[in-house]
Amino acid sequence: MGSILVVAEIQKGKVREASYELVSFARKVGEATGREVKSLVLGQGVSGLAEELSKKGGGEVFAADDAALANYNAGGHFAAVKAAIDAAAPDLILLSNTPSGWDVAPRVAATLDAAFVSDCFDIEVDGGELVFLRRFFNGKLDARLRPAGLPIVATMQPGATAAFSAASEGKVTPLSITVGEGGTKFIEVKAASAKGVDLTKAEIIISGGRSLGGPEKFEEVIKPLADALGGAMGASRPVVDAGWLPHAHQVGSSGQVVSPKLYVACGISGAIQHLVGMKSSNFIIAINKDPDAPIFEVANLGVVGDLFEVVPKLTEAVKTAKG
Amino acid sequence: MKIMVCIKQVPHQDARLDVKGDGTWIQEEGIKFEINQYDQNALEAALQLKDASGGEVVVVSVGPERVTQSLRTALGMGADRAVHVKDPEADGSDPLGIAKILAAVAKAESPDLLFTGFMSDDGNIAAVGPMLAALLDVPHTTTAVSLKHENGSIQVERELEGGALEVVELKTPCLVTTQTGMNQVRYASLKGIMAAKKKTIDVKTVADLGLAGQVGAGAAKVKIEKLYLPAKGQGAEILSGSVDEVVGKLVGKIKELGLL
Repeated sequence: MGSILVVAEIQKGKVREASYELVSFARKVGEATGREVKSLVLGQGVSGLAEELSKKGGGEVFAADDAALANYNAGGHFAAVKAAIDAAAPDLILLSNTPSGWDVAPRVAATLDAAFVSDCFDIEVDGGELVFLRRFFNGKLDARLRPAGLPIVATMQPGATAAFSAASEGKVTPLSITVGEGGTKFIEVKAASAKGVDLTKAEIIISGGRSLGGPEKFEEVIKPLADALGGAMGASRPVVDAGWLPHAHQVGSSGQVVSPKLYVACGISGAIQHLVGMKSSNFIIAINKDPDAPIFEVANLGVVGDLFEVVPKLTEAVKTAKG
Repeated sequence: MKIMVCIKQVPHQDARLDVKGDGTWIQEEGIKFEINQYDQNALEAALQLKDASGGEVVVVSVGPERVTQSLRTALGMGADRAVHVKDPEADGSDPLGIAKILAAVAKAESPDLLFTGFMSDDGNIAAVGPMLAALLDVPHTTTAVSLKHENGSIQVERELEGGALEVVELKTPCLVTTQTGMNQVRYASLKGIMAAKKKTIDVKTVADLGLAGQVGAGAAKVKIEKLYLPAKGQGAEILSGSVDEVVGKLVGKIKELGLL
C-alpha cells in the first residue's frame, strides 16, 4: 500500500485550516487502509510551518523551501508537488479545492495518468476501495464516485470536515525542487476592492438570485425589503456576473463570506459556492419556487413560493409592524 | 493568432433534472441543452481577441449529434470553423479521456492559444483545461476574469477567493480557463447565422484521432457509481398556508429575533 500525500497550503503566514482538514481525511483513510500520512509544505521560509504541521498530524512533512515558491505559480507549485510525489510514493494525493488546488491538481493527475476527483466533501472506504462523495449540477445532485484504480488525485471542499488538531509524531524532510522557465509567471495579487457595501458588517442581508430576471427587479423587490428592515442587499454569483449589481454585493466563496443575524435568500437555489458564503448566518429564511432547491437544506425557515408575490407582501408587513 | 476554444454542451441551467434508471447519470431525453456558461465566456474572449487583431477561432466539442446545434451557434457568433468529435466510443469518457481527445485535435490544429471554461455546469469537475495543458505540455492558468494579449504574451487576471485577483503572464502557446462574468457574451446575429451556414463542421471519430480503445467509458479512471438527490438533513421548516399567513409567520419570526 502506498502512502497518502497531503499538499498543505500557506495563507497569511500560516498553514491553512483547509490543510488540517485534509489531514483529518488522510488520517481517516490511513487508519482504515493502513496507509501512512505524509505531507508537503511549499513556499519561501516555510521550515517552521513544516515543523508545526509535522507535530499536528502531517507525519513526515516534505518542506520545499525555495524563492521560486514565494508567490503561488502553477509551474513552481507543480514542480514541488511532483517532487514530493517522487519522494513519498503516494497512491492518494489530497489537495484543497482552492485557487491553487484547482489550478494544479488536474495537471498533476494528467501527468501521472491518475484518477481525478474534485471538490469532494467526504471519502469512504468500501471493501478496501476508496469512494468519493461530491456534488454535481451546482449542488442539485450528489454522487458517489469510485476510481477504477490507483493512484488517485483528489481535491476536497474546504470546510467539509473538522480540522485535525491533535498532537502527533512527525518529522521534516527538506525537498529541493527545480522550477523551469517559461511557465505561468506571477506578476501581482490585487486585493479585493474596498468600494461599495461591506456585507460582512451587515446585521441583515436580503439577497436575490438570477430568477429576479433583471437589475430593475432588485430595485423594485429586494431593495424595499432591505430598506424596510435596515439591511443590506446581497446577490448570488450569476447576478453579479450579469452586471446587475457590483461585485461588493456578491455572497459566496468568490465574494463575501457573511454571517448576519438574518439572511433572507430570495430566488437563490443554493449553489455550493453561495452556501459556503452564508450558511453560518444566525438565521436564514429562504424563498424559492423549487421545493428541492439546496438552499432549503441550510435555511431555518422556508417558503416554497413565488418571490414576486411573497417579498412585496413581506415588505409591507414589515413596514406595518414598524408602524 | 490561431485560437482553439473547447466547448461542452450541457443541460440548460433551468432544466429539470431526473436521475435515469441505472442511477449513473441524468435522464437526457426531453431536456433542453445549451453551451456551458463558462465556455460561452471562453468563446467570447476568443472572439474579442480576433476582433482586435485578427486570426482564426476554431471551436471544438465532443458529444453526440445534438452538439451540432451548439457548434452552429458558436459559428453564428463568429467562430471560423468547428471540429465535432462525434463517436459513441467517446461516450462515458472521464475528464482525462476528454482531455486526450482534445489534445489529439489540438496537435493537428497547433493553436497559439487554447481556451476552455473553468468548469462545466453539469459535472463541475474543473479538470479538462489543466489536463489538456498537461498533455500538450503548455503553461496554463485558471479562472480568468480578464485577458490581454501583447507581443506573444497573454496577461490574465485570475480570480482568487473573496474577490482578490492574481495577475499572471503566459507565453504562447498556452491555455486559459475562463470564469463566468469575464465578459458580456454576444448573441449570434442573423447575419452571423446566415454566414455560419457556409462554415464547415469537421466531424471526427475517436479512431480518426488515433485514440481507439483509449477513451470512453471503458477507459474512464473514475466511475459514477450513483447519482442521487442530496440527503435531506434537518432542513428548513417549510411554512404552509396562504401568502398572507406565511408572511405573518415570517414577520413574527423576525420580531422574535429582535430585528423589528
